[in-house]
Amino acid sequence: MTFLALCAAVLIALSTGKYPIDLATLSKLFLSLIGPEKTGTSLEGPALVLWSIRLPRILMSLVTGAALSVAGVVFQSLFKNPLVSPSILGVTSGANFGAALALLLFSGSATTLEASAFIWGLIAVALAYQIGKRGDNTVTTMVLAGVIVSALFMAGLSYIKCKADPLGQLPEIVFWTMGSFNTVSWKDAAQGGSLIVFGLLLSHFRRWGLNPMALGDEEAMSLGVDVYGRRAWHILIATLMVAAATASCGSIGWVGLVIPHTARMIIGADHDALLPYSALLGALFMLLMDTVARILPGGEIPVGILTAIIGAPCFGYLLIRNKSRAWSD
Amino acid sequence: MGKEKTLAVHDLSFDYDTRPTLRDIDFSVEPGVICGLLGPNASGKSTLFKLINGILKPKRGRVIVEGMEVGCLPRSAVAGLMAVVPQMTTVAFSFSALQMVVMGRTAKLGALGRPSKRDYRDAEAALEDLGVANLKHRAFNTLSGGERQIVLLARALFQNPSILLLDEPTSHLDFKNQYLIMDMVRSMTRSRNLTSLVTLHDPNMAARYCGQMVMLKQGRVHRKGMTEDVFEEGALESLYGMKVSIENGPQGKCFVMPSADSRASVLQ
Repeated sequence: MTFLALCAAVLIALSTGKYPIDLATLSKLFLSLIGPEKTGTSLEGPALVLWSIRLPRILMSLVTGAALSVAGVVFQSLFKNPLVSPSILGVTSGANFGAALALLLFSGSATTLEASAFIWGLIAVALAYQIGKRGDNTVTTMVLAGVIVSALFMAGLSYIKCKADPLGQLPEIVFWTMGSFNTVSWKDAAQGGSLIVFGLLLSHFRRWGLNPMALGDEEAMSLGVDVYGRRAWHILIATLMVAAATASCGSIGWVGLVIPHTARMIIGADHDALLPYSALLGALFMLLMDTVARILPGGEIPVGILTAIIGAPCFGYLLIRNKSRAWSD
Repeated sequence: MGKEKTLAVHDLSFDYDTRPTLRDIDFSVEPGVICGLLGPNASGKSTLFKLINGILKPKRGRVIVEGMEVGCLPRSAVAGLMAVVPQMTTVAFSFSALQMVVMGRTAKLGALGRPSKRDYRDAEAALEDLGVANLKHRAFNTLSGGERQIVLLARALFQNPSILLLDEPTSHLDFKNQYLIMDMVRSMTRSRNLTSLVTLHDPNMAARYCGQMVMLKQGRVHRKGMTEDVFEEGALESLYGMKVSIENGPQGKCFVMPSADSRASVLQ
């Protein structure tokens, strides 16, 4: 049923915006892809909007929503705590720092910006993981290591904001850290998107193993799970996805925390169903948020703001209403 | 005497950093009869338990399981041979009893695997064997302590091990469920010829259910052997550091309690 909602949302997203395209025109444009007829000049405007601007943006928001949700599910299971978000090991702080660094030193190059955000996101997590591993390799130590690394990179980000040119660079940096899909091109969608889809597929195939891992290290070991190896693998794949998403669109928070919860409330804790459903729900949520962000009267706002403003009260409502106890105290 | 024991511990020693914990632990366990691991707090029972299970690595000595050294086996192989019923499990997430039991097949699934419909049916059968099939869709965390232990026992048996390890299975259970779970363990040990090692804090439970015993005191083996040989007042007194008397109750069962002449107080 959620899948149908998703399809409907995609159709709505495709047709709404500053340049509305009605459904008839939409179908003509899509048919022209597969059919032999060429579109006339009257359809050139809508075609441009659809293919160059809207479609990559929609695809990217779908894929990003799925990635953040799945990463949220994975981290919540690995850390056996439903209050965990994908940024717990510092990927978001690292990516923000990397992006700010690029904007400060190499402003103007989108590729450098994305590459820098991606790389620094990975560095942050690698650092947190190594600290945690050399500690006692327990989950608590790793979480603390993530806190340390996040703090470090946030300090770095603040320093860059101090040094940045307040007229040009600083607003760019601040805007980037709020997260937005409005600069997504086909190149972004192809590069970032394919990496994300790769990560999603890998996570999907190994999803059931998260069940025993969610029981605790010792119990999982007694059941035969190679706990340390699996943990490293899952952290790597999830981080790649989140870093790729963040590099393309800036840091979008809240999705990776709320969607896994909501999915768990609806469909249960068994990762067999939970992981694909979270991906679906996350994609839907992100698309809706981005569509709203686009059509808001008064100008577009960064989607990261919307996910928090709308997501938080929705979740509060669900918490109050739903006593299905998807997690326990 | 020539038969390879399923579970044997040879000259095992272990320290937590600088604190010596276990020294020269050496014993073996016969199948088909429950073996009780007894000892007061801080005797090293839990540590020994983790060493046998392969969670901790010994500083010296070996744990041999079906002729193979536990430290040399990959985790999935160990899980195929040994199953653990932990003392208490609270899970952060709401799995159903059936989902918990089917996790017993984790080691046999492989890296990409997930349980098949047949695995779920077999897991249901494991719950049926212990008479709790009605719990299968209940959320594990909503079950009572006794029900949880039974589900965990079902999961351990579902692993199809030759060795069953139970860590203080009765410590969080009410009066009836303590006996219920131990009855189940005894009946399964007999019918499947398992090698079962149970840590117990209550010597009366041990006397009732265990045909063989290992007594641990301050990290060393105090006594070991068949119950009728080692379960006597002298051994228990030096083990627990208190005067005890063993009475013979109805049906030939014996029970232990603090000695009659200690003025109703264990403090000396």
